[in-house]
Formats: sequence, C-alpha cells, structure tokens
Amino acid sequence: MMQRKILVILENKPGALARVVGLFHQRGYNIESLHVDPVKDVENYKEIEDSLDLKLQENEVSKLLITTTVSDNLLRQILRQINKLIDVLIAKEEI
Amino acid sequence: MKLAGNDMLIQSLVDEGVEFLFGYPGGAALHIYDAIFNQNELQHILVRHEQGATHAADGYARATGKPGVVLVTSGPGATNAITGIATAFMDSIPMVVLSGQVASHLIGTDAFQETDMIGISRPIVKHSFSIESAEEIPRVIKEAFHIATSGRPGPVVIDIPKDTTAPDKLFNYDPPKSVKIRSYNPPVEPDPKQIERAISEILKAKKPVIYAGGGAINSNASEELYELNELLNFPVTNTLMGLGVYPASKKRFMGMLGMHGTYQSNMAMHNADLIIAIGARFDDRITNTPDLFAPNAKIIHFDVDQSSVSKIIEANIAVFGQVKNSLREINKQLKEKINLIDKSKIEPWLDQIDEWTSLHGLNHELYKETSDNNMIMPQSVVQHVYQITNGSAFVTSDVGQHQMFAAQYYHFDKPRYWINSGGLGTMGFGLPAAMGVKLAYPDEEVVCITGEGSIQMCIQELSTCTQYNLPIKIININNEALGMVKQWQDMSYGGRHSESTYQSSLPNFIELVESYGHVGFKIEKNSDLKETLEEAFSINDKLVFVDVYVDPSEHVYPMLVAPNGSLKDMWLSKDKKV
Repeated sequence: MMQRKILVILENKPGALARVVGLFHQRGYNIESLHVDPVKDVENYKEIEDSLDLKLQENEVSKLLITTTVSDNLLRQILRQINKLIDVLIAKEEI
Repeated sequence: MKLAGNDMLIQSLVDEGVEFLFGYPGGAALHIYDAIFNQNELQHILVRHEQGATHAADGYARATGKPGVVLVTSGPGATNAITGIATAFMDSIPMVVLSGQVASHLIGTDAFQETDMIGISRPIVKHSFSIESAEEIPRVIKEAFHIATSGRPGPVVIDIPKDTTAPDKLFNYDPPKSVKIRSYNPPVEPDPKQIERAISEILKAKKPVIYAGGGAINSNASEELYELNELLNFPVTNTLMGLGVYPASKKRFMGMLGMHGTYQSNMAMHNADLIIAIGARFDDRITNTPDLFAPNAKIIHFDVDQSSVSKIIEANIAVFGQVKNSLREINKQLKEKINLIDKSKIEPWLDQIDEWTSLHGLNHELYKETSDNNMIMPQSVVQHVYQITNGSAFVTSDVGQHQMFAAQYYHFDKPRYWINSGGLGTMGFGLPAAMGVKLAYPDEEVVCITGEGSIQMCIQELSTCTQYNLPIKIININNEALGMVKQWQDMSYGGRHSESTYQSSLPNFIELVESYGHVGFKIEKNSDLKETLEEAFSINDKLVFVDVYVDPSEHVYPMLVAPNGSLKDMWLSKDKKV
C-alpha cells in the first residue's frame, strides 16, 4: 500500500466530476485529496491529444488530481473503473 | 420537419426502432404522454407500478437483445423505477429510462414531485443525461441508445425537465445520422496476439473447462461458442446468467456452476488446469472463497469490460473485445492449427467428469413420483413444465428456491430463453419480465416460474396482463414461506424461522387471479400434477396461474459450504457434506 496520485482528464460537463468522486465511495476506495481545474493550457496535453486522436479546446475538459492509498492491484482496478466512465477521456497514474 | 420537444422525443424513439414503451404517466411527463396519444408507431404499455415497467422492459431486452425503453414521471415515478434499473445494471441489460422532471426553473427548489433522479440513479446506470434544452433531445436519445447497447450494455437514464417537452415551441427535427462520443470507445476486435497466447495454453491443457456467462449472451456469441467447442470438445459450464448460451442437451454440458451449481461443474472448475472464462465475471456466487478458487488453473478471460478482468481472480491471459468477435478470431486461428489439437489428451478428464456426474449429479427423474404419500417436490414441478413445453418455452423467474430449481431442472438449449435477475436478485421480476417477453413474442410460450413470496412483490401487474391480453403461464411454487431464507435459517441459524413464513395470511390465489379475468388452477397432490399442468398449458388465450403446493421442508442442493469453503466443498443434501 502506498500513496498514489491519479490524473483524470474528463469532459467539463455538469455531473462529470460527481461520477468520478461517487465511484470511489461506491467501490469502497478512499479519497485523500482532490483538486480540479478546467484545462486552459491545452498545449501541455499534446500526449493525451495524440493518444486519443483529438484536439482539445480551452476549458473544454477538466483536470482532476486525486490522491489515494492503495495496492498495485487495486490501483489498476480503480483506473479501469474510472476509464470506463463515459465522460472520462483518460485516467492514469501520475508519477 | 418542425416538431415540438415532446414530439421530437417520441419521433427519436421511433427512429431508434422502439416498438414498446413501458410506463406510467404523471405531471412532469404529461407533455410526452400527449405526444404518445397523437401517434400510432410505438405502443405504450401502461403498467401498474413503475418497477413493473422497468422489469417488463428488461424482460423484453433480454429476450430480443434490443434495448427496453421506460417512461416514468418525476419524483415517486422515478424512484419506483430504481429497483428495475439496478436489476438491469447488475445483469448488463440494455435499457433506456426516460424520467420526467420538474420544469428547469423549479429544479433545486424542492418543487412538487421533484427528486434528483440523476443523483439517485448515478451508481446504478451506465450513464445518464439531463436534458438542458429541447434542441438536444434527438442527439441525446441517439447517444443514449448507443451507450446502452454497445460495449458492456447497461441502463441509461435521461432526465427530462417538463419545459423541454413543451408542445408550443417548434424545432427543426434533424437527428444525427451516427454517434461518436470521443470519450467512449469500448473494445470491439481482440488483439490477435492474445488469441495466439490463449491457443498455446488451450493446446497444452489436460483438464480444461469452458465457463461461459451472460456476457456471451449479450454479445450474441452462442454460435461462435458452439463452433469453438466442436473443435475442442471441452467440458462446458454456464453461470446462472449464461444458461442457454451453450446447449444444455449437448453431452459436454455439465450444468450450472457455483452456489447451487452441479457437483460435476463445481468439481471440474476446482480441479481444472485451464479455465476459459467467456463473458463471465467470477462473482462471489461462483468463486466461493477467492483464495481457494481453482488452485491449479490458468485463467483465460474473454470480456468486453476491462474492469471485469482480474477484479476477483487474476487472469493469466486477458482478451478484451466483443466476445463474439474474439471467439470468431480464436475459431479462425484454431482451424489453422487443427492438426495440433489432440482430443485424446483430455479423455481421462472427460471420464473423470462423467464419473462425478454419475456419483452425485442431479436426479432428473423426480417427476416420476406419483404417490400421494409424499408431498409434491418443487423440482418435479419444473421437470413437468420442461416436458410439457418440450424445453422450448421462454422461462422467467423470480428469486429464491424456485429460481434455482428452474435453473437446475429446465434445460435451455438456446440463449435468451432463460430470463432471471441473477446479479441483483430482485424478487418481483418474474411476472413483469414475462409481460415484456410475451409482447415481443406473442406466439411463443412464456412461463413465469415463481413463488408465493416473489409473485406478491409485483402482483399488481396481473391487471396489466388483463388490459393487454397477455396469456402468460404463471407457475407458483407455493411452499407458504420464503423458501431460500428459511433454508439459510435451517442451515445457519438453528432452524429459527425469523419472519420467513406467512402464518396463513396468503390470499386465495385462484380467486385473486379470477377477479382479474384470468384462469387459476390449484394442485396439492402428486397424482394431479401432470394432468392439471397439461390442462393449464392447453389454454392459450388467457393468462393461467397454477398454484402448486410443494413440500415446504425441501432445500436446494448442491449448496456451497461458506464461509471459507472452496468450490469442491458442497452440501449435497441436508446431512451429506463433501
């Protein structure tokens, strides 16, 4: 078990954040810290744009940073669960 | 074409091919109901409780593979639908639920019949939408159907504030031709390299088992699975949700596995060296104690949902994609390597399984009992129904002992004919689900195998069956108690039957169904069982309710020993444990 940082890029839509946060409680995971901002500096997200083959517009998506303390296996499961949410573009561990 | 919001909504549903809308009107949905009145392309089915609407839509979806569609009003209409939405979510059933909502300007004011449907349904939907303006209705409907039916299917809720369906504002109706949601890309085609790896394990296996579940049915992969096993001749077990995806009458079919699975299925899984999981999710009713699960088995897991793989049991090889496509690919590659398949290698294993079957397999000849010295066995009722319907009926069930007996003793040769709430275990599911099936297939025999506890949870739908003339057969396996609860109390609570019996409070079911215009039969003796059931099944123009009194002391076996048991630890009868 160690503290992990999870980065989530999701659509900046009403209700999208609640789905991610709700999922933690639903699946029995704990959130230690949470920070969310609309993405303005889209030029810094080239890698994500390339991997998903899309172009981001300013304020169109939000960046969510979550810290949680979990094992490797559970982290993989959490990431898969978050990635399954329809409004989520990508969820990955931020190292 | 210029349409108002309410008409756009209905037209969008018609454009999606919706035949039936299961629902119940109320204030916030009245604009929509007015649009329903003015058209005749889709039929609205007026249920008697919103839970019935969701289960009916669910039954329709399970039988046809098409999404079930529900329309309810705000507040209590929406909350009453929750149990049915959760049922569909747990079993990955495509469903679109339209819930009326108070007008946009009233949201958040605790208005009459206001409830936060998006919030309440969030943990039990695949996705949800809140309509913000009438213009977006056609796009949202299109996206909702796409999400509900693709990838791992599931229910989608659309919350519709009343003002967005107002009849007085017209909009250009121009629905999108196709859907692209950039953040939603479920896997379709498998990685051929993973298939290659899977095949190399398959060729090595000496004790393989194919374990197929509801995901294989959702993906319509039945033919591909059949073809795969024509190549391999592996023993096959199905989960409760998967029954019918591989023909029960095939020699290699071992029956259901898990909590009330057959002895041979559970033993084969426990002793396997290779488990090929196909659209199944290793839930706790299957694995028993996960740490003790199949200690020597490598796991190949085919699934469309990445989060279902290695969630409970670590997979050695994961194949992500639509199960149908993945099986098609493996069949293709296997055919190219056909000379490498050595069927003789698994013969000792197949002999071992046959031995388990003959040692402790289920007794499929209980129906031969005709003596009135003994009470009717519930299993025997299911066996008679199987014989009278030639195994070709759609069977819905509720939850409890009757559900397990139906799963064990009605042999399904085709997918989508066995319709039950496997994941959530929702009592009250059977009758409304049967209505959905009967509407979809009016010429087919539809049987609801239920119990006197479950049937009373949605019994109001008997009235709906009268209104739409739905000649369903209801087989009420009546033990005058909550049989499965009582069984657990017998086994784990010293026989203390806390709140699990009805103390002579049951209605006279025959008079009850007759008051709705249906036909009722009561059976209390073995000597009447066959004849009266045959008479009941000879009536095809009316709903028939058969109330069969069975031995209330009967338990469902096998039953896994829990906690801390593995799949090989089973109760085989009240006094025999292995």
